[in-house]
Amino acid sequence: MRRITNLTLTTLSIALIAWGAAQSGILRYNSYMMDPVPRELDERIVELFMERYPDIRVEHSQVEHETFKQAIRTFLVASPPPDVLTWFAGERMRFFARLGLAADIDDVWQNADWEAVYPAGAQAMSQTDGTYYFVPAHYYWWAVYYRTDIFEELGLEVPETWDSFLDNCRALDAAGYIPVTIGTRFRWPAGGWFDYLNMRVNGPEFHIRLLDGLESYESEEVRNTFAHWQQALDAGCFIDNPSAYNWQEAAEFMVQREAAMYLMGQFIMDVVPEDQQANFDFFRFPIIDPNLPVGEDAPTDGYFIAANAANMENAQLFLEFLGSREVAELWVTEAGRLVPRADVDPALYTDTQRKGLDEVLRRADVIAQFYDRDTPEELAGRGMDAFVEFMANPGVLDRLLADLQREAERVFAERE
Amino acid sequence: MRRLVLILVWAGALLWLFPIAGAFVTSLRTQQDISAHGFWSVPREISFGNYATAWERGRVSRYLTNSFIITIPSIIGMLVLSSMSAYALIRFRFRLNRALYFTFVAGMLLPFQILMLPVFQLSNRLGLYDTHLALILFHTAFQLGFCTFVLRNFMRTIPMSLFESAVIDGAGEWTIYRRIGLPLILPAFAALATLEFTWVFNDYLWAIVLLSSDRLKPVTAGLSTLMGQFVNDWPLIVSGSLLAALPTLLVFFALQRYFIEGLTMGATKG
Repeated sequence: MRRITNLTLTTLSIALIAWGAAQSGILRYNSYMMDPVPRELDERIVELFMERYPDIRVEHSQVEHETFKQAIRTFLVASPPPDVLTWFAGERMRFFARLGLAADIDDVWQNADWEAVYPAGAQAMSQTDGTYYFVPAHYYWWAVYYRTDIFEELGLEVPETWDSFLDNCRALDAAGYIPVTIGTRFRWPAGGWFDYLNMRVNGPEFHIRLLDGLESYESEEVRNTFAHWQQALDAGCFIDNPSAYNWQEAAEFMVQREAAMYLMGQFIMDVVPEDQQANFDFFRFPIIDPNLPVGEDAPTDGYFIAANAANMENAQLFLEFLGSREVAELWVTEAGRLVPRADVDPALYTDTQRKGLDEVLRRADVIAQFYDRDTPEELAGRGMDAFVEFMANPGVLDRLLADLQREAERVFAERE
Repeated sequence: MRRLVLILVWAGALLWLFPIAGAFVTSLRTQQDISAHGFWSVPREISFGNYATAWERGRVSRYLTNSFIITIPSIIGMLVLSSMSAYALIRFRFRLNRALYFTFVAGMLLPFQILMLPVFQLSNRLGLYDTHLALILFHTAFQLGFCTFVLRNFMRTIPMSLFESAVIDGAGEWTIYRRIGLPLILPAFAALATLEFTWVFNDYLWAIVLLSSDRLKPVTAGLSTLMGQFVNDWPLIVSGSLLAALPTLLVFFALQRYFIEGLTMGATKG
């Protein structure tokens, strides 16, 4: 009997030691890259890392994007939390940094000498109160995507100004096309319209101040933004009942050649069938007030380390790899994204990427993230609700803005 | 009259089958086809490739295994424990018998959402967070109320004299429970097992509250990983969902005879 007990004990302790040893070589990585192309690349990056560091085993968990955004709150306070996580630059990152849930990675930035290769804008979006918590990895541009064949058929020019944009809407509407498609069931496409109208009408600085709670939604400026939105509604720009569709369903109107334009991120091309891609192109959102600096939305995704990460050393190694030039170039060539690293070989960019850079982003004075990434999350939801409701029922604008302003004051007061 | 009923029944059945038929057709198509021609167009090409993709690359095979790893021990746990508590509530007279029974019923009425934070904190403190055990323990504990309620009411239909004669024959409580109690409530067991299987198997909320690792996820949470951030491959998602629905259907068909019998018998005797 005693022999058996001894044997069990020995086996148990060996198992425990083995388990302990295996633990030290673990890295837990949770990501939200769920679209087919980025998802595959995400998996490949993990494989590459494990090839480089064979004694580190990466436990990679891919979580559905919307679920991730909710569940990250439990991830970060659990013990142990995932070591490395994907997240959004700017306000969303600062939220966790200020709660003390993200690890200080000044060391990683210094060791990898990232300040030499990441431009000032990228450095700023990675910092919270002067400390680095984040490494930006890739981003994409927003633009008005349009069908070249419909524009040709009606002899339309790419609109540079707001008036010519509205004229295009009227012409397309008269010819029986849907001028602009938009699907607002999940609200955020309406946030894109607000971002662009507000930046074009009031300038990007006002826009950022508004999203930081320093300006009022009931101000003359914001009313003016909505007055322009109203002009687009009056010109018959938008598809009927936009809230009946999600963004992808709305894109299908363009694929089926019923709609001509869509204000959308670069990822729209992922849903356009290949034989149709030649009929798609994009232009910069038209200028409304030529005296103002130009702002553009370019949402940036990246990575951070959880504050209580159990495998801090591995996490830092992995983060350094994720921010490396090698990985950056993969995002360019495999996923068609743009990357903030300045030392990436420019020859890698395709014509489309170069056009996005040259015609949209390099001509911009200010780069914003996106409505729901620049303003506190709970307020962003209310704001986008209001934009969707405005599109359906413009008459209630006064009430919408008053409610939104009250909500903004409450949210920003709580942050103090 | 008979014909009218027949027509109504058929119309109802077709109406109910319509979405499932639509899902099945969608699962055989390609996303390219759907975005080019719309959901309700005639499919251009048909293949079962989406099922293979969902099974392999979508990892539905692993997620389904996880679902069983979570569901089966939970059901065994809750049936064993609740049959014991039901037996005790029926067989013994003690002061807090009623109160205890009402506690079980009250637990059943508790909206589970309010438990989210405490359960997360508890499993985190116990070091169970992100393990299958956390889910198994939670499901077992949470469903105990309902199971005890059903089984107790079912056991009341057993004549007390059966137990008493067993006592006279010299049987201990354990023997009575095992040899007389359990065999007689088998129909209720089957009914409960079916019902609980669907509940536990289809749980999504607790899977995302208590798990963060992909390799541990049950099929409900796993399926959501087929959803894109911006781009959705609907045929793939639908194929995965149909695969995920199969086990519940099979269990239901296998046990449906007991299901109706067991539940109604338990329900009519209060």
